[in-house]
Amino acid sequence: MSCEQEREEVKGYIHSVETMGTVDNGGIRFVLFMQGCAMRCVFCHNPDTWLRMGKEVTVGEITRQLLDYRAFFDASGGGLTVSGGEPLLQYRFVRALFGKCGALGIHRALDTAGYCRHGDFTSVVDCTDLLLFSVKVMDEGKHLRLTGVKNDVILANLRSAAARGMDIVVRYVLIPTINDSDCDLHALADFVISLNGKVRVDVLPYSRIGIAKWKQLGLNCELEGVPEPTPDHLARARRVFRERGVPLRTG
Amino acid sequence: MDERFSGFAGRTWRDRLDVRDFILSNYEPYEGDGSFLCGPTERTRTLWEKCTELLAEERRRGGVYAIDAKTIAGITSHPPGYVDRDLEIIVGLQTDEPLKRAINPWGGIRMVEMACNEYGAKLEPKVCEIFHKYRRTHNDGVFSVYTDEMRALRGCGVITGLPDAYGRGRIIGDYRRVALYGVDRLIEEKREDLRSPELTTITPDTIRLREEVHDQILALEELKGMACSYGYDISGPATNAREAFQWLYFGYLAAIKQQNGAAMSLGRTSTFLDVYLSRDLREGRLTEEQAQELVDDFVIKLRLARQLRTRAYDELFAGDPLWVTESIGGMAEDGRPLVTKTSFRFLQTLYNLGPAPEPNLTVLWAERLPRPFKEFACRVSYDTSSIQYENDDLIRPIFGDDYAVACCVSAMRVGKEMQFFGARSNLPKALLLAINGGRDEISGAKVAPEFYQVKEEPLEFGAVWDAFTKTLEWLAGKYVDTMNVIHYMHDRYAYESLEMALHDTHVGRFMAFGMAGLSVLADSLSAIKYAKVTPRLDSRGIATEFDIEGDFPKFGNNDDRVDSIARECVVLFDTKLKAHPAYREARHTLSILTITSNVVYGKMTGSTPDGRRRGEPFAPGANPMHGRDVRGAVASLASVAKIPYEHAMDGISYTFSITPGALGRTRDEAISNLAGLIDGYFAKGGHHMNVNVFDRRTLIDAMEHPEKYPQLTIRVSGYAVNFVKLTREQQEEVIARTIFER
Repeated sequence: MSCEQEREEVKGYIHSVETMGTVDNGGIRFVLFMQGCAMRCVFCHNPDTWLRMGKEVTVGEITRQLLDYRAFFDASGGGLTVSGGEPLLQYRFVRALFGKCGALGIHRALDTAGYCRHGDFTSVVDCTDLLLFSVKVMDEGKHLRLTGVKNDVILANLRSAAARGMDIVVRYVLIPTINDSDCDLHALADFVISLNGKVRVDVLPYSRIGIAKWKQLGLNCELEGVPEPTPDHLARARRVFRERGVPLRTG
Repeated sequence: MDERFSGFAGRTWRDRLDVRDFILSNYEPYEGDGSFLCGPTERTRTLWEKCTELLAEERRRGGVYAIDAKTIAGITSHPPGYVDRDLEIIVGLQTDEPLKRAINPWGGIRMVEMACNEYGAKLEPKVCEIFHKYRRTHNDGVFSVYTDEMRALRGCGVITGLPDAYGRGRIIGDYRRVALYGVDRLIEEKREDLRSPELTTITPDTIRLREEVHDQILALEELKGMACSYGYDISGPATNAREAFQWLYFGYLAAIKQQNGAAMSLGRTSTFLDVYLSRDLREGRLTEEQAQELVDDFVIKLRLARQLRTRAYDELFAGDPLWVTESIGGMAEDGRPLVTKTSFRFLQTLYNLGPAPEPNLTVLWAERLPRPFKEFACRVSYDTSSIQYENDDLIRPIFGDDYAVACCVSAMRVGKEMQFFGARSNLPKALLLAINGGRDEISGAKVAPEFYQVKEEPLEFGAVWDAFTKTLEWLAGKYVDTMNVIHYMHDRYAYESLEMALHDTHVGRFMAFGMAGLSVLADSLSAIKYAKVTPRLDSRGIATEFDIEGDFPKFGNNDDRVDSIARECVVLFDTKLKAHPAYREARHTLSILTITSNVVYGKMTGSTPDGRRRGEPFAPGANPMHGRDVRGAVASLASVAKIPYEHAMDGISYTFSITPGALGRTRDEAISNLAGLIDGYFAKGGHHMNVNVFDRRTLIDAMEHPEKYPQLTIRVSGYAVNFVKLTREQQEEVIARTIFER
């Protein structure tokens, strides 16, 4: 079996597919939601992707689907976004898929929280065009409470990606009373400035849409009483970054 | 005469009637953006305000403002009417008052009687007497020759909406000819045709055609008379832009006065009119503001066009539509875009006058259209949900570069081709007939031959497919026969002499068949093939319910297992139809379009093997069934794009609804993504797309508080409606449709 054939047969487990993702500011995107995540964020809006089950697919199958949508990517400047769950738990699959896309000239975005071994991380990032890197909160203690894991590995991965000169959008989901203090925001701004790379910050509003899923899954949602941020609140948070000279993702 | 053409280039169009040549010799493509556009003038605002008051009053009166139940409609039947004589730049109404509807019994007197009755008007007894006693209508003609079988098919609803009791419509007069040549020249050309050898060799066909051309000339004379009553002499060509608009509009007005056709489309006028506007602007006779004002005023007139119809008709074609379809843009065969500043000005009316379903603005989209125009159109879509898009790159190779769309999706060369409209056949119902051995699952009556014996055991795909194929073959024959009867009679008793006067004497004809319920059909066959479907029989031995075990692929997810079934069904039906010769050597075409009849068709159809329950609506047009397209909009579009246009040349309608947020995070991103989506769909071979951008919440609120949303416009199936004019049932169906969100 050739190397190419081997690559086509790498298996992955997916939760679902959205053929018209548009929220990444990169045209029309085929979004592959991978199954499985090692973090347990209390504000997760896709808790149904946590467990490692899902539908088995091969790199070849997904590639064929992507080629079928090529007209839409070409017309809109879109491409593939791999999201999750945590795609890097299946780094072999993502690496093989991104490798194929690279050869085909399909734009690749990776939507990750960066919680994985450094070597796994870089092996995928090296064949990624745009990194959408989700930072939950900077404070280590808060991070542990919010997600169940520490963030040292995560921040180290982000730092290494920035050092490689990658195009990075740091996504920060603003959750009122949880990670929205001045201290939280400035800590992130400090960190991003220290990266000294091609990094933009995207402050996103926390959405209560996930709560229904938590209930469906019989899980107890700790954020039951937490509201979504108001547009004003969001604007204030964004201003903190702007004033610090941190580039924001426009829109 | 030459003086009136001063500043115009080209020769061919002067020597013979050739509007296309005039346009191509004179138009100026515009590649810029919409920044030159003007808002409404004070005059436009005042006039439109008066009209919106009238429209509100029309709604308060239950949908019909007034009826003239005494005067039989015709080109010169009514004295001139005005909204406000001092304010109007373009004049002309169908009757002596705005929104007052005329009676047009030529298609059928019973429709007129019913409509008058429903809206509380007293129909003049003399009119009844004339059409019952002395003058046969199209409707009477048809029913005098229908066979028992045709009646049964019509009765059970496997073929419905047929234009056998009303005007067929879908014919586009080349109204531009009135402006370019003046009516006298058109009459002279027709007289010349009568003297030609083709028409002086006497056969039954030429006798009929000679009589038709004779009527065409009379209609043209009447057209002049109608214009004269407004103080205009249109015997010669229009000499400036205002006259060009006025002349062209008179042509259209005469058509909608003479005919109450289902769809009375306008054609492709914007780039033609742009030649006149450009000349006046160039010569300093007009400002941009005045140019826009002309377009706005013209569009106001088009928004006021009305026909008298019954409530039952409204169920099929909801929202009181006239399909004043105007086709905008597209590419010329020489590679230049046919986009002009006036293409922008037409779309701009949706801002200047607010959103509206009419005129049915249709953008002929091509990959190589100028990007600023694409973005402008998408911006208007994003803001108003009032535009539809058709794939010019797909249509142009077949219909050339001077076609227009009639109704929703039917292309034809303007002034050179017409079509015989044929509504549609309910194919899920045909599948049920096949399964039930030819018996109607609702009434139990035997309406089709028996090719299958249903038992309470799992349906076997091969056997069902075989029976379905035979049923379709049989149905296709009956459908063609029925259409031949209808159009023979329509030509005979309700001939569109004015519209046809604005065609070449020797026209190409299409016979446009249709199918409804494609996604229900494909999913049903897919269920039978990939899951286990067991019919449950009632006491009559008819399958009224189906037990489905296991999952099956559903149309709309870009899954070839089922998409190929949908494709196969279309090819099959089209092929079967073509096996039966059509009246006047018309070429068979097929549409996958429902208008809003997907609700009525659903009502008339029992439970289907895909799990759809008895009475539930079908999806509109070629849409996947509500909520079954779960992989996102692009997968849904990719499925629909697989339906081959060459086998559905009367159009494949897809209605797309999405929330603003799902299209992009900012307005600019959303607009750019929408343009990408249309480009992508059309590159895949898609034919048509209605674009709606709204939140479900808005619709629900409009259902509860219609008074807050008088102009809320949505695209339904090849046309747009005022949402508040839909019945509750139709509103609920629209809300139940897949609205892509995130």
